[in-house]
Amino acid sequence: MNMSLAPWLIQVAQVGTIVLGAPLVTGVIARVEAMLQGRHGPRVLQPYYDLAKLLRKEALAPSGTGPFFWIAPFVAMACYLTVPLLIPVLTTYALPLGFMGDILGGGFILALASFVVAVAAAETGDSYAQLGSSRAKTFGAITEPVVLLVVFTVAIVTTTDLPYVLGATVRSSPDQIVRPAHLLASAALFMVILFETGRIPIETHTGTTEFGMIEEARPFEHSGPHFAVLRWGSMAKQLILFTLFLNVFVAPWGMSSTRALGDVLLAVVLLLAKACALGCVIAVIDCSFAKLRLFKITEFVAAAFLLAVLAIFTLYLGGG
Amino acid sequence: MNAQSVPSVFDGTANTIAVVVLLLEFLMLRSALLRAQVRLYAVQSLVVSILAVVVASGRDVPELYALAALSFALKAVIVPWLILRLMRDASTEIAGSGALGVASEIMVAIVVAAYAFFTVSLLDIHSDVLPATALSLSVAVVLVAFVLIIMRRDVVSQAVGFFSLENGVSMVSLVVAAGMPLILEVAFLFDLLVAVVVFGVLMRVHHGRTHSLSTADLTRLRG
Repeated sequence: MNMSLAPWLIQVAQVGTIVLGAPLVTGVIARVEAMLQGRHGPRVLQPYYDLAKLLRKEALAPSGTGPFFWIAPFVAMACYLTVPLLIPVLTTYALPLGFMGDILGGGFILALASFVVAVAAAETGDSYAQLGSSRAKTFGAITEPVVLLVVFTVAIVTTTDLPYVLGATVRSSPDQIVRPAHLLASAALFMVILFETGRIPIETHTGTTEFGMIEEARPFEHSGPHFAVLRWGSMAKQLILFTLFLNVFVAPWGMSSTRALGDVLLAVVLLLAKACALGCVIAVIDCSFAKLRLFKITEFVAAAFLLAVLAIFTLYLGGG
Repeated sequence: MNAQSVPSVFDGTANTIAVVVLLLEFLMLRSALLRAQVRLYAVQSLVVSILAVVVASGRDVPELYALAALSFALKAVIVPWLILRLMRDASTEIAGSGALGVASEIMVAIVVAAYAFFTVSLLDIHSDVLPATALSLSVAVVLVAFVLIIMRRDVVSQAVGFFSLENGVSMVSLVVAAGMPLILEVAFLFDLLVAVVVFGVLMRVHHGRTHSLSTADLTRLRG
C-alpha cells in the first residue's frame, strides 16, 4: 500500500470526497435527528436514493422563465466543486491549486453560488421562491461582516489568510488552541455555519412551513435533475463548510501528510467521521432549541458579530 | 511566521476565562427576565472564582484558594439567593425595556469595550501573574457593567449591574495584585454584602412605594 499518488490525483480525490460524501453526512444527520426525537428515521443512504430518483425524472420549468433558470443549478454546483480545491480536505500540505485562492476567495465563490440560485429562484415568479431568495440575501448581507472579521482574525494570527497555514498553526502547539481569539473566531464561524446550512435557530431543515423558510424555499420551482443538482449542491456546501470548520479551525488532525495511497484513504474516512460527529452535535442543537422568529435572526447574527469583534480586540489590542 | 508572540497555555486559559466573564456581562445586557439576570450573575461569579483557582494553582498563590472558596460561597450562592428571595414579593418578572433597544445597547457596549482595550493597551501595565489581556477584559467588564446600570430602568438590573461591576473589579485585583493580603480581599467581599443589604432595602422601599421595580417614575424630586 505504499503507492504514492500524483498531486493532481489527490486534488481530484478532494473534490470527489466532498461530492460523494456529502449525501452520506446529510443522511447521518437526518438519522441521528430522527433517533433523538424517538423516531426510527430514514436510512442513512436515503439521500443517495433521493438523488438517483430525482435524476431519472422529467424536468419542468414555469412558463416565462429564461435559460438562466436551467443553467443556475449547474453553475452553483460548479462553484461548490471549485471550493474543495482551495481548502485542506485530505492533506496537510498545499496541493498545486491550493494557492489559487484564500479563505476569502472560497467565501466569494460560495457567495456566487448562492447568488446564482437566488436569481434563478427570483426568475420563476413564484412567491415562496422569491421570498426565500430575498430573505437569504437580506440575512446574507449581515453574516458577511462576521465572516470578514473571522478572516481578519486568521490574518492577524498567521499573517496570511491561507487556510493551510492556519491549520498548521493550530496543529503546532496547544498555546494556539486555548488562545481566546482562536476560540472566539471558531465559535463565530460555527454560528455562521448554522446560518448558512439552514439549521435550527434559523430555520427548520426538514420543514414544510413555507413562511419560515429561507434556504429551503429557493429550489421550489425546480424539478427533476435540476432539483437533484440543487439539493446535491446544498449538501456539498454543508460538507465544505464542515470541512473548513474542522480541518482549519477546530480539529486539523487526521489528514494525510504524505502522498501514500493508504494515508489518503485513511484521511477520507477520518474526514467523513469527523463531519458525522459534527453533524451529531448539530442534530442535538436541532432538537434542543426552537426556531427563532424571523426578526430575531439579526440578534443571532449580532451575537456572532460580537464574538468575532471580541476576537479581534483580544488579538489586536490585547495581544492575546 | 506569527505576527506576535503567542501567549502560553496558562495565559491563554486565563484569557479565555476572562472572555467568558465579559460574554456573560453582554448576556446580562441582553436578558429580559429578572431571574435570568440574577442567575447570569451567579454564573459570572462562579467563573471569576474559577479564574482565582486557576491563578492559585498555576502561579502557586495558595491564599487565592481561600479567596475563591469565599467568593464562590458569597457571590455565587448567598447574594443571588438573597436577591431572588427579595424578588419573590415583587410580582414583576420582566425587566422593562432599557433606554435603547437591545441591538443598540450591544453596539454601545462593544464601543465601550473597545475603549477599555485601547486605554489599557496604552497604559502598558505588566503583571507577572496574569497577561495584560485579562486586565483589558476586566476593565471592559467594569465599563459594560456601567452601560448595564445606565441603560436599564429597573432596580434589579441596576443592582445586578453594580454587583457584576464588583466582579470586574475583583478580576482587576486578581491581575494587578494577586498577592494582595487576604484580609483586604475579604474586606472587599463584605463591602459587597453591605451593598447587597442597601440595594435590598432600596428595592423593597421602592417597590412598596411605587408598586413597580421601574425607576422610570423617579423623575420628579418630590413624590
